[in-house]
Formats: sequence, C-alpha cells, structure tokens
Amino acid sequence: MDFKLSENTTMIADTARRYLKDNYSFDIYRSQLQEADHLHAARWQAMLELGWFGLPFPESCGGYGGNLVDVAAIVRETGAALCLDPFVDLVVSPGKLLEYINTSESLAILEDVIAGQARVACGLYDRYAGYQVTKPSLRLNGYRLSGQKHVVPDGGCAKRILVSAMAGDELLILALPVEQCQIERYRLLDGSRASSLMLDDLEITDAMILCRGEVARQALSGWFDYMCALDCARMYGAASQVFQHTLEYARTRKQFGKAIGSFQVIQHYLVDMFIDLQQLESMLLMVLVKAESETVSERARATSAAKAYYASQAVRIAQQGIQIHGGVGVTEELNIGHYFRLITHCSLSHGSRDYHVSRFIEADAAV
Amino acid sequence: MNLEFSDEELAFRDTIRQWMKANVPDDLRRCTARGAMPGKEMQQRWERLLGEQGWLTVTWPEQYGGPGWTATQRYIFDLERASAGAPPTSPFGVAMVGPVLYTFGSPEQKDRWLPGIRSGEMLWCQGYSEPNAGSDLASLKTRAERHDDHYLVNGQKIWTTQAHWADMMFCLVRTDSTVKQQQGISFLLIDMKTPGIEVRPIYSIDGHHHLNEVYFTDVKVPVENLVGTEGMGWTIAKFLLTHERTTIAGVADTQNEINRLKAALATMAENYDKHQAARRVAALEIDLMALEYTNFRTVAATDEGKPFGPESSGLKIKGTELQQSVSQAMVELGELLSLPWDNEQPIGNEVFNRASRRYNFLRACTIYGGSNEIQKNVLAKMLLGL
Repeated sequence: MDFKLSENTTMIADTARRYLKDNYSFDIYRSQLQEADHLHAARWQAMLELGWFGLPFPESCGGYGGNLVDVAAIVRETGAALCLDPFVDLVVSPGKLLEYINTSESLAILEDVIAGQARVACGLYDRYAGYQVTKPSLRLNGYRLSGQKHVVPDGGCAKRILVSAMAGDELLILALPVEQCQIERYRLLDGSRASSLMLDDLEITDAMILCRGEVARQALSGWFDYMCALDCARMYGAASQVFQHTLEYARTRKQFGKAIGSFQVIQHYLVDMFIDLQQLESMLLMVLVKAESETVSERARATSAAKAYYASQAVRIAQQGIQIHGGVGVTEELNIGHYFRLITHCSLSHGSRDYHVSRFIEADAAV
Repeated sequence: MNLEFSDEELAFRDTIRQWMKANVPDDLRRCTARGAMPGKEMQQRWERLLGEQGWLTVTWPEQYGGPGWTATQRYIFDLERASAGAPPTSPFGVAMVGPVLYTFGSPEQKDRWLPGIRSGEMLWCQGYSEPNAGSDLASLKTRAERHDDHYLVNGQKIWTTQAHWADMMFCLVRTDSTVKQQQGISFLLIDMKTPGIEVRPIYSIDGHHHLNEVYFTDVKVPVENLVGTEGMGWTIAKFLLTHERTTIAGVADTQNEINRLKAALATMAENYDKHQAARRVAALEIDLMALEYTNFRTVAATDEGKPFGPESSGLKIKGTELQQSVSQAMVELGELLSLPWDNEQPIGNEVFNRASRRYNFLRACTIYGGSNEIQKNVLAKMLLGL
C-alpha cells in the first residue's frame, strides 16, 4: 500500500494553501458572512485561472482529469481557511452531477461551469425526503412541477438549479431557471448561502429535463458518495486547524501562574485530539480512494463509514477545542467557534451520523 | 496512493492462509472459537510449530533468524493467523527480550538465549512492576548487589504474567541507589529455577491465573546475565517502548471478535432486536476501520524505512479501547446468554458463553504495557512538546 500523495496533488494543495493565505483571512470571512451573494468576482476569476474549475472533471468533458484526491486537496484548504467562496456549491457539486448524467445537454452546461460562465447549484434535498436523494418529494404531473426543495446551497447567486423529482415512479433530474421559482434565501450553519424553492404548478419544458430513471439514479448515487468524501475533506481541514490553534493556546494561556498545557488533564485532552486527528486523516485517505470505486456497495460502505466516523470524531475535536479555549472559545470574535459550526454543518449535510450508520449496515450486507 | 495489496502480497497471503488452514491445531481453533485462552501446553505447542517454520520471530532481522518479510507481509501474516483462529503469540520472549538481546546483548548472550526464543522452547516473563512501582516504574526497589561473579537479588515483582510458566525472567533491578533513579537500574536475566525465587498466583477477575507475585530472597544471578552495562536498564526499557509494534493495535484479533459477534447475532431468537444490535456493531466496525487504516499507514511507512516512533502509543491507546468496547458489546448484546460463568454447555450461542470472562480479562489491556494514561503523558511530551 502507498499512502503518499502524488507530487501533483501536493502541488495543488500547496498552491491552494498559498492562494488562500495571501487572498483570504478570518476578517474577510467575517465580512463575507454578512453578504447575500458569496461570489467574489476577483477571487472567482483567480480560482478559475488556478485551474480549480476544470480539475474535478475528465478531459473528455473539457476538464483537467483530476481525481477526488486532487479536488479534496483544495477542499481541505478551503475548510482550513473557513473560505465561503462557493467553489464546491457552484462548481464541483453541480459539475459532478452533470458529468455523471453524461448527456449532451448536461455536458453542455458542464462546459459553461468549467469555463466559469454558469451559475448552477444542486437542489437535491427536501424536508420530506430527508437525505434520500433518489426519493424526492417534488412531483411532475404532465408538464407541471410542484413541491419544495430545501437547503439548496446556491452561493446566494445561482441562476439555475439542478433538482430531482418524481414523475409517477420515475426519477428525473431537471435544470430549473431560478427566475421562474419562488425562492426564499437564508444563511446556513457554516455561513454559506442557501435557499428554499417553492414550486406550485411550474410549467416545465422538455429542454429542462436532463435525464430519467436509471441514469438519474446512478448519477445521484455517484454524486452523493463524491460529496460525502468532500465533506470529510472539509472537516479534516477545519479539525486540523482547531487542533493547531488549541495546542498553541494551551502553550501560551496562563492560569495559576503556568501555561495550561502543563496540566495533565489538558495534555490528555490534546493527545486525544491528536490521535483522533490521525485517525481522521486515515479515514480521509481511505474514503478519497474508495468513493470513486466502480462497485456501488464498496463505495457506499466506505463513504458512510467515513461520514459516520467524522460526524462523531471531527465534531468531538471541535467541541474539545472550544472547551480548552474556555470562555473565549464561545465568542464570535474567535475562529474556533466558526470551525465548530463548519464541522457541525458538514456532519449534517449529505447524511447525518445515524443516517450513515444505517447506510453502512445496508452496504456492508451487500459487499 | 494505492490502498490494495500487491499481487505478490496477495500470493503471500494465500500461502499463509493455506498453511494456517492445514496447521492450526484443531483443539487450539476450538479453544479460540469458544472465546477461551489456551493453557501452557497448547500455547507452547503452537509456538513451537511456528518456530519450526521460522515464523515465530517474524519481526526479527534475518541475521537472527527472522524470515526477512516486509512490514506489510508481517501484517498480513497476523491477519491470517487471527482469522484462522490462532491466538497471538506470547510477547515476552519474541517481542521483548529477543529484540533487547540482539540490540544490546553480547555475542555470548545472543548465542545462548536467542535460539530458545526462536524455537519456542524457552518461555519468558517480564519482571518490571513492583507493589510500589506501577506507573512510576523508575521508583522500583528490587536490589541486585554485586558479589564477585554474581548478583544477589532481593525484592518483589508483581503482575508478572506467565511467571508460573516461564523458564526465564528479564528483570529490571536497582544496582545503584546513590544516583538518579533512572540511572541506577539494570537489566538482568534470571533463571526461574534459581533457589530463593517464590512464585505466588494472583487470580484476576476473569477467574483465571495469568498473573503472579514473584519474591526474591538472596537469589544468585551470574554476572554474565547482565544485559548491556550496569545502569543501562532504563534505556533498554525505553527502547522497547518505541520498538516496532505494527500489530500492537490488535486489529486482526478485534476484527475476528467482531466477526464472531456478527455471526452469533444472526443466531439470536426471533424476538431479539437485531436492528439495534446491528447499529451497535456497525459503529464498532467503523471505529475499527479508522484504526485499521491508521495501522496500514504505519506499516507502509515502516516499509519505506521510516522509524516507528511514539505513534505506536496512539495505536496502543485506540486499539485497547476498541478491544474493550467490542468485548463490552459482546456481553451486553448477549443479554441473558452472557450471565452463565462456568457452565460447559452454552444455553445459547457459544460465543456469548465466555464473553463475560473475556470482558473481565480485557479490563487489564488499558493498564498493562504502560497504562493508557502513561502513554498519553509520553505522547504529550514527545509529540506535542507539552
């Protein structure tokens, strides 16, 4: 076995880290939190020029043929930097779904995504279906679409939303123009922008329907695993920052006339965080390789194991980070609480811990 | 990145698998399947069999009779050993005093002691802990006074696993009480048949006799049984802490326990809540997966020639916590079937019949080999600089 990242992946990670260090900061993050549109023109252009938009997609679709390990190298860094730019929400997430749908219409939209021309987001969850992306509650009757989509991560600026719906027993994926939908906008736990779509007899044209049936089901299944793995990458980036900041704090914060890191109870907490972080890294490397597997049950077993593990252990690191910081850890002024929110957010997006334990059991029985 | 075994490694695995299938004795396999631990005769018979094959000392360098396997091969060997239903080998000779001897021993000492360890003929025990020197090991008081060609040893050791089986003990003794605690400790090899040694049993909460107290009254130990020089004992003890321990996490045996548990759950009665049980087991399997891949990373790093550092403490901590969680789940999920203590005929699936014994036994695993709290102290100092 070989757990080393390729030179190429290391270079991608280094470039992303340097770019974010030079062009993003906690202060920028905090002001971006207040904005309704998270697309920052200059940084968006820079990310395009860094090649991030083409990286996740095969060369046959006009991409640069990076694998999940490469894409996760960037997402780790955006997690570590608390970066709110909607790179995953408006590029990777819709792009992978369009790639997996693999029709001439979907690939045409993907081309625009890669060129930075499209503003497409994924609206695949609703409160009735929960995490079951292949069982949406949105209904298509004839050419009329009704129902709702919730927690659509749209960066506050998407122009088109890829939604799943049922026409009778058949699953469909459609691309809806936002201007025809009733929309409600809000901020999510991690600070990102999202919306709810309310559709009441929206008239649909054939051109809006991207795919049906088995094609749609397989595309969503592959997309879901890919996104689960990226959640883990983002949490890893954030959790490793929590650990570093907390270790530094324990070395410098003095109480009873000594650095609190000299107390055994704090030392043991930090060692636990360190060991957990090592295990989280192992799970990340595992899931990044397995989430793109051809075998559906093997893929699901790996991603659900990783997501369930992160939902307990990455969250634990974030909680301990706050605890060791004490009062200052619960303030809006310090980054630790923001990492805590990001990690909690990711532990709930694309399946909670309980959901993934159930899915793991199912997949395990099928392997 | 590549997370698969190579073709050569898979071929190696098949060879080991076939050998295990043909050679793990039936009574030993039955013993493991019942969740019991083998007695001296059965354990030693198995270790001798491995010894004949040259597979008892798989971690040893080739020049001392190791098979020259990579860390990955050794890991695969351990997986196959466990899944064939064979217990881990006793660590005291093979994993502890053996490496000490080929690292610090004189040529005469190597010639004299290594062959018996390699073949499984000679059994060892570890004389470290004392009644007042547990986690604070450096405060140990058992004295060894130099008299011409021998040391005279007086004092007491405790928690000495398999002292009642052992031919030899490797022992930390105080040879100088005028210097800093750590510098006055020496590493002695003591023949357990020497007059003046008394071994008294300690029964542990699993109801069995693994542990002992060992008393020394004017025990004569020849000076040629000193390893290294006087005062080097602490250095040698620390060497063992970071010596390669790629199987310390116990992944192979824990996987085997989880497999036994899953198979047993399938046999539970109709009204048993299998769904709830499956969730509990799944959470354990997921924890095991995290440990397994962490273990794979250390194995891969070892094969790249990276030294095995204090990270092994992390594997020990997580591995033992998981062993305890799995054994606890086994007891709790067995419900009523876990309550009988000494009946020969299980009232339900035999996996649960001795589960509570094992659960009791494994309370010790976060204590022995340096308690998990001591491991954390070491990590805080060595890795985090606190």
